[in-house]
Amino acid sequence: MDVFLQAIVNGILLGGFYSLMGMGQNIIFGVMKIVNFCHGEMLMVGMYLTYLLYTYAGIDPYLALPLVAIIMFCLGAVIQHLLITPSLRTKSFTNLLFLTVGLGLLLSNGALVLFGSDYKSIRTSYSQHTIALGPVSIALPKLISFCVLIVVTIALFMFLKNSTTGKQIRAVSQNPVGAEVCSIKVKRIYILTYGLGIALAGIAGCLLTQFYSIFPTAGASFGFRALIVVVVGGLGSIPGAFFAGLLLGLLEQMSALFISPSYSDMIVFITFIVILVVRQLIIMRRK
Amino acid sequence: MDVKKTVGTYHRRLALLLGALLLVVALIPVFVKTPYIINIFVLVFYISTMSMVWNILGGMTGQNSLGLAAYMGIGAYAVCLAVTKLGWNPWMASILAMLVTGLIAGVIFFPCFILQGPYFTLVSIAFAESMRQFIINSEFFGRASGVGLPFGTDSLSQFRFTSKVPYFYVGLIMMIGVYAIMKTIDRTKIGFALKTIREDEDAASAIGINPTKYKVIAVVISAMVAGFVGFFYASYIRYVDPDLMVQAKSTEFVLPAVVGGAAYVEGPLVGGLIMIPLSEFLRANYARVLPGINMIMYAIVLLVVIRFRPSGILGWYMDSSFKKFIDEKILKKPSQDVLEQYEMMRFENKKKEGA
Repeated sequence: MDVFLQAIVNGILLGGFYSLMGMGQNIIFGVMKIVNFCHGEMLMVGMYLTYLLYTYAGIDPYLALPLVAIIMFCLGAVIQHLLITPSLRTKSFTNLLFLTVGLGLLLSNGALVLFGSDYKSIRTSYSQHTIALGPVSIALPKLISFCVLIVVTIALFMFLKNSTTGKQIRAVSQNPVGAEVCSIKVKRIYILTYGLGIALAGIAGCLLTQFYSIFPTAGASFGFRALIVVVVGGLGSIPGAFFAGLLLGLLEQMSALFISPSYSDMIVFITFIVILVVRQLIIMRRK
Repeated sequence: MDVKKTVGTYHRRLALLLGALLLVVALIPVFVKTPYIINIFVLVFYISTMSMVWNILGGMTGQNSLGLAAYMGIGAYAVCLAVTKLGWNPWMASILAMLVTGLIAGVIFFPCFILQGPYFTLVSIAFAESMRQFIINSEFFGRASGVGLPFGTDSLSQFRFTSKVPYFYVGLIMMIGVYAIMKTIDRTKIGFALKTIREDEDAASAIGINPTKYKVIAVVISAMVAGFVGFFYASYIRYVDPDLMVQAKSTEFVLPAVVGGAAYVEGPLVGGLIMIPLSEFLRANYARVLPGINMIMYAIVLLVVIRFRPSGILGWYMDSSFKKFIDEKILKKPSQDVLEQYEMMRFENKKKEGA
């Protein structure tokens, strides 16, 4: 029973990261209809950024969080403005897809060149602390990350729902042409959105440094999980992405516990396929 | 002017030009003896072939599949297992490989055909990765160590040679064969149906084209050809392991098509001819000094092409004055009106014969 509870807790804590990645991916996909294939690599960039700030400026990762978020936002904005928006004109999904794929390649190999393939890590004084909640022990950094996740989710949700910019973003995601007609500057919204999505990935990376190794391909599995979360949670739905991420984390831990750790990946993917197909069937039935 | 004569001259000159190019390529092993360069050409051949296979799904039908490496891997595994465990002849095993991949694509992947656009891409990734995980976990498939083909004396019937040169020629023939298949598809009703589906699936079903049927055909054909390429790969490398089916490999097969121009059947060929030697050159010369810098340059080339020449290198060529020069001076290509007149004449003749 204890093992079971521990697996549930671990699943939720891990799932929090999937949620965070999923929300970033969701915003980008929802507004620009492009699959951001370099989201995982952006997480990795966030990790390295945190590492640099910690090693050379002595800034604690949690304190560095806002700084990392801002830097990643600027990075995303620049990429969007220089590379993505001009290519949106071609309306070719393949092109945009491979633009982000190329970016991902550039980023992960850039990290390889700059930092080498050694695994790096950040260990602060409280990295190893665990808190015991009954039979379950939770690593302190993971708990803090989860709390940050909750705060970020609520903030994001309120932003999108209530603020003017948030409403503009939602308008553009529903109908870019109509939004332009209502004098919403669509190009600026694109920049904002992409920057926001990347900033979220950066936040996830920053939080992850406490208990995950930093290496150039660290983001790959998270990147794909982000896509799964987006699709399962529903396009454009922040709460959906939140819960889908948690469920995904749970599914992974549960299948690792009950079936086998090496099969857990496969089970996740097959479940994903089944959900996609079933949902499409339901949509088609409704028509 | 005599339409038939002018168009005939053009056709003759085009055939001569292509024949000369083919001859140059075919004679490369005679003049270049370094196995390293021959290996680069073999890579070009089979990666370009896989790229053409992707193109029928991605460029022609608009369904971006990022899971093609899995089909190639399955074909390779099928061949290796059939040869080692059942004692089959590799050429016979290639037919088995094509059947297996075709079945998997047509039957197991079948429910996924109703998905469109980005969902199809995601499913193809998930599907490929599931198959790879299945193989890694399965004792029968050798888990992560893979399966090897037996070594031995050179033999055509066992498709086993110590020198790379026979693989060069078989690879070249394979590439040309697949090109012929793709070009035929492009010109006939199937190609027309696929392109219509790419443009607008609902409109296609409105004019009587069943999108699901043609998507299935496209995926099954691409899976079967990928299986055959897997057979070639297995016979060349004499070894197959799950790393062959990893996501990055699938992406590797798509890049030549995107860079060369996904709208053209020749696009992957051009893209492959440029990207693969470039990648190998970068890797050989720079990766030792600074690991990863070759991929950075590769990624930069990709980004530059997509950002500034989205229609690919062939798309750029089609619009360029270089093409005009070649068309007018070397090929003596007649104007569009004359070509259309020629087509009309052929059509009339066919009608007369039919009647």
